[in-house]
Amino acid sequence: MTPERKSLNWILLHSAAMLAVLCSLFTGLRIATLQRPLVAEFEELLPQGALHPLHFFSALTISLCALLYLIFRVRNASLKKRPLWCGWHRAIIRAGYPLLAGSIASGWLLFFIAGASARDIHFFCALGMGLYLLVHGGFYLIRWGRSALFHIVLPARLHLGITALAAVPLLAITWQLTSRQSHYPLEVANIPLSDHVHIDGNADEPQWQAARAITVYTDGGANFDHGATDVTLRALSNGTEFFLLARWRDRDKSLAHLPLLKTDNGWQVQQEGFHEFNEVRHYEDKFAVLLSPSCAFGAAGTAHLGRKPLSEKPANWHGKGYHYSTDGQLHDLWHWKAVRTNDMYLADDNFIGRADRPRAGERRYTAGYQQDGKESGAYVMNWQWYRRDGITPKRLPQSLEQLAALPGTGQGPWVIPWFDYRPYTDTADADIPVGSVLPSVMYNSNRFEGDRADVRARARWHQGYWTLEMARSLVTGSSLDVPIGDGICLWVSAFDRAQIAHTRHTRAIRLAFPQ
Amino acid sequence: MNRWYRTFVVTGLPLALGVAAFLTQPAAPGPQPYHLVKIDNRGAALAPWSGPWSCVCDRNTGLLWEVKTDDESIHDGLWTYSWYREAETGFTTVATTSHAVPIPATGSENLGDCYFEPDRCDTADLLRRTRAQQLCGEHHWRLPTAKELHTLVYTDSKAGQPSINTAFFPKTKRGDYWTADFGKPLLGVYQHLGNGAEAISFVGGQQVTIPHRNAAFVRLVAKNSKSCH
Repeated sequence: MTPERKSLNWILLHSAAMLAVLCSLFTGLRIATLQRPLVAEFEELLPQGALHPLHFFSALTISLCALLYLIFRVRNASLKKRPLWCGWHRAIIRAGYPLLAGSIASGWLLFFIAGASARDIHFFCALGMGLYLLVHGGFYLIRWGRSALFHIVLPARLHLGITALAAVPLLAITWQLTSRQSHYPLEVANIPLSDHVHIDGNADEPQWQAARAITVYTDGGANFDHGATDVTLRALSNGTEFFLLARWRDRDKSLAHLPLLKTDNGWQVQQEGFHEFNEVRHYEDKFAVLLSPSCAFGAAGTAHLGRKPLSEKPANWHGKGYHYSTDGQLHDLWHWKAVRTNDMYLADDNFIGRADRPRAGERRYTAGYQQDGKESGAYVMNWQWYRRDGITPKRLPQSLEQLAALPGTGQGPWVIPWFDYRPYTDTADADIPVGSVLPSVMYNSNRFEGDRADVRARARWHQGYWTLEMARSLVTGSSLDVPIGDGICLWVSAFDRAQIAHTRHTRAIRLAFPQ
Repeated sequence: MNRWYRTFVVTGLPLALGVAAFLTQPAAPGPQPYHLVKIDNRGAALAPWSGPWSCVCDRNTGLLWEVKTDDESIHDGLWTYSWYREAETGFTTVATTSHAVPIPATGSENLGDCYFEPDRCDTADLLRRTRAQQLCGEHHWRLPTAKELHTLVYTDSKAGQPSINTAFFPKTKRGDYWTADFGKPLLGVYQHLGNGAEAISFVGGQQVTIPHRNAAFVRLVAKNSKSCH
């Protein structure tokens, strides 16, 4: 016995759905590795690279296939009524319907609204779909062997329906609409050049209240409730400068950035993941804004997932992936850091460009993520050389009184001025008792100077929320900065005491300047 | 292929793949071999991602290079020096003793900035102290020639960084570094000062002639060192 031969329409629809489900499943599981460590245990089976556009395109294809199948079923509802039980194959197929419907519905919900529950439902429906594929395909293969494969690729007749013909342009149009028109618009309110906006983290200027706010759900980060936080944004411009206000919920103000603890065996960096460049406990809060002329999915197409998305370049330590540009487009990245840059009243002005060449001697390869140049000024980490099992500080307090004034495990100044401390010597170290805690961040000047200092920024934490004000010239003249204007897209990410585990959102935020 | 065999393949293959993927953990990234080798203060070679280190051996040239620091020691990268060569008891030529003359002092003394000398600093101060310290087990430290120093120029450095591999040569400044070459006439606004010494600019790697009195940076070199052979 062999299965019934199918029409060309059925075969096209089934093939498209099968390929799209497989693509969606594997790309989706790779995306899930960012926040589900258990999935990352199977990373060898998962694809790498710029997977977000592929995931969304396959999701759109599945949705269209489901719609076409629904139309087919409705139009042919009266032709053949099947009994409630008509064998295991039919039962398995029917079991797949709610899983497919759940995957599609939760996927679109994530795309347009998002939410922790939607992400969980989407994930478990996807796992169900994976199981469904195994059982559905497996049972057919077991029963009919290779002939089952011919059955799904060789049609009974070569008649192509009008619906199948219409599907391709329909897919193209909906993809264009989804990828180009799905952004959040952020209106940039005009203010007179004479109005002053103080970059102090208070956001108490009336101009901010007059600006229209948007709130973007971001998730996938570490330590936030469910790894997610809402970010509220407002934007202003006086024709010369661009101002951005971001406010996000963060239960704790995290400033203990890789503190140094003196133990019986010497000084140690308090860390939980820093050795793999993925610290998630002893780290400062941060916030990042990516600006780009491109509004493509996956942070302007810069997000490349996986441990080694570039075969010719080094693997990363954490398996999450890299940011880099594949088309030479430069993307701006403002990186505010609660300890390292907040007291400079700056955000670190960085960029994402082409994947950098690997550099011998550098343990961490960052692909396209790099810093703008600076003339001088910096924060310096207070260790001569980082080792997981112990470090030697560069500088020590001048006296025990100075040591006593340090924050220890409480809240206090987690930045120390370089010149108020003295160079490390064994003699000076002998005076410091075991159990002492030193901040690891030192300023050897009060701010960066040069290209890296183009973004003014200051944040304040109050009652469970960070409020961050940022400002930059619309056009800096630097080849490493993106000029800001109408149509520029933004992505924002919050970090809760995490080095790289940031929140993210799917749809770009597009700046709308008044015409 | 019977049904039981197909059952075995259809269930066993995905299961085997899943288990293999779960058990296969990717190896941590590792360093690639490179011609620059870190050398610790006692002269022992270190792995590329280890530290701290005090010198770098360039296996391409056989030269051992001083590494700058930020510890306010004599090797601190912030210190600058005027170009100065002390009078030496040797002779400029060994052709005949009757025609030989002692090597006179040359350059400008004590016009750089440092903390480790009671007066200000010059290149002879750093040389004298580094030789006495036997940095990396070596005491034949000297100023590099322009040709030698130019071998460290790295034209593909990151934005705003000096033209050198900063992973091996941290605390390098975007500025001029003295060489041992001197005697070339100064040009332009410096012409009235006569001759100057050669320096390599680590802004872009170009060679410049500057007056001895200028405060420039220094990176010392040693040849035929034990730790670099």
